[in-house]
Amino acid sequence: MATFELYRRSTIGMCLTETLDEMVQNGTLTPELAIQVLVQFDKSMTDALESQVKSKVSIKGHLHTYRFCDNVWTFILQDAMFKYDDGQENVGRVKIVACDSKLLTQ
Amino acid sequence: MAASSTTSSVYLHVIEDVINKVRDEFVNNGGPGEDVLGELQGMWETKMMQAGVILGPADRSAAAKNVPGGSVPPVHDLNVPYEGTEEYETPTAEILFPPTPLQTPIQTPLPSSVDNSMYNIPTGTPSDYPTPLNDSVGNSGSSTEAKAGRPNPYMQPPSPWMAPRTPVDVNVAYVEGRDEVDRGTSHQPLTQDFFTVSSGKRKREDFSGQYQNGQHIPQQDGAVDPAPEAYQGMESPLPVRPEAANTLSIEKGSKLKIPQVDGPIPDPYDEMLSTPNIYNYQGVVTEDYNIANTPAPNELQAGTPAGGIHADVGDEDDDDEPPLNENDDDDLDDVDQGEELNTQHLVLAQFDKVTRTKSRWKCTLKDGIMHINNKDILFNKATGEFDF
Repeated sequence: MATFELYRRSTIGMCLTETLDEMVQNGTLTPELAIQVLVQFDKSMTDALESQVKSKVSIKGHLHTYRFCDNVWTFILQDAMFKYDDGQENVGRVKIVACDSKLLTQ
Repeated sequence: MAASSTTSSVYLHVIEDVINKVRDEFVNNGGPGEDVLGELQGMWETKMMQAGVILGPADRSAAAKNVPGGSVPPVHDLNVPYEGTEEYETPTAEILFPPTPLQTPIQTPLPSSVDNSMYNIPTGTPSDYPTPLNDSVGNSGSSTEAKAGRPNPYMQPPSPWMAPRTPVDVNVAYVEGRDEVDRGTSHQPLTQDFFTVSSGKRKREDFSGQYQNGQHIPQQDGAVDPAPEAYQGMESPLPVRPEAANTLSIEKGSKLKIPQVDGPIPDPYDEMLSTPNIYNYQGVVTEDYNIANTPAPNELQAGTPAGGIHADVGDEDDDDEPPLNENDDDDLDDVDQGEELNTQHLVLAQFDKVTRTKSRWKCTLKDGIMHINNKDILFNKATGEFDF
């Protein structure tokens, strides 16, 4: 199954990566096993987002930069507004990184 | 604090799922054993609580609420080594992205270094836990010293492990069929994706990858033209990336048809990064970027990229941006600066569809993780409407 490594940049992914880094550094884990854990994280995170998350968000903002490279869209928004179930967030600058969802289903 | 209950529960589910599914690897085949797995889970969850994105599993939720992300909660997992917390308090920002990771394997990023650069919110969200958001630079010297002083028996296998930290990684995550065996070797070339020869793992992009390489190696024998012809012939059956095909046609057009009168030909690297196809439209009412694999429209317009740029910008009401031309890398510098100086509000998602009508962009995203204003928010669907 194809997975994205995209979500490793999220908080949960970074926390896992840091943990694995430390454990590899102090010799508790082999790098190979650490990478296996990361790959499993890619799968589990993708599955969880698909199956457990139902919320919807609407995003508006001024598009400062757009980029489509290697099938990844990158948008940088200014004065963006995020509306979601629990409320609304405004940020002066936000980056959106999005992989092509079709690549997972192929 | 920053964790919504749903985000927290999804995160906890993911942690459980990962731990359960790698258990075999840890317990069997001479793996490090169940204890190490528990240590991994404990450290992971501790970091998540410190980051404020999970409320803690049932038996730790009280502690996590009282001391959100603070020092080790009283009801703490004893498997968690003390040094995890200690490192959180003495971060370094300088080694988040080691300049030459392949040669300096010891400089594995420390936990809070990531915290600082990725999630350092300057907008003043009060931080009630000691993860130092502001003093990382001052502390970096001492903690680096401490880190380097630690004996490290596992310095030898360096780079496969370092590679996943590089930002380029995300952009190649779609590569299919890459398994764990591939992963170790494929990461290293991918960190220099635009400069090096294809690793051979990128099945979908073999053709465009080779073409890019052809672009970036200084042309010395004058034989560049036949190759693009060959690739263009193959474009439709092959999933060549649209902007690669477009760069190709522009390059060809500018060399063969249009004399360059408005300055030097842009560096191919810049051109590729700035996805020139977005500048080429000539009043096309709507473009659906999801069918952009058909290169025909871009080819038709490829001859006049520069003219299109200026015409378009003239219509815009952006007054804070310089005219777009071959100095497109300004934008990239801008972005890099923003990432260093600013908070990284970040949305990670998959796109279903991206369309543009004039300067109005619409996109539909799914399965996303947002880190906004120090909150983690997950979504199943998102719609975006942007004005460029």
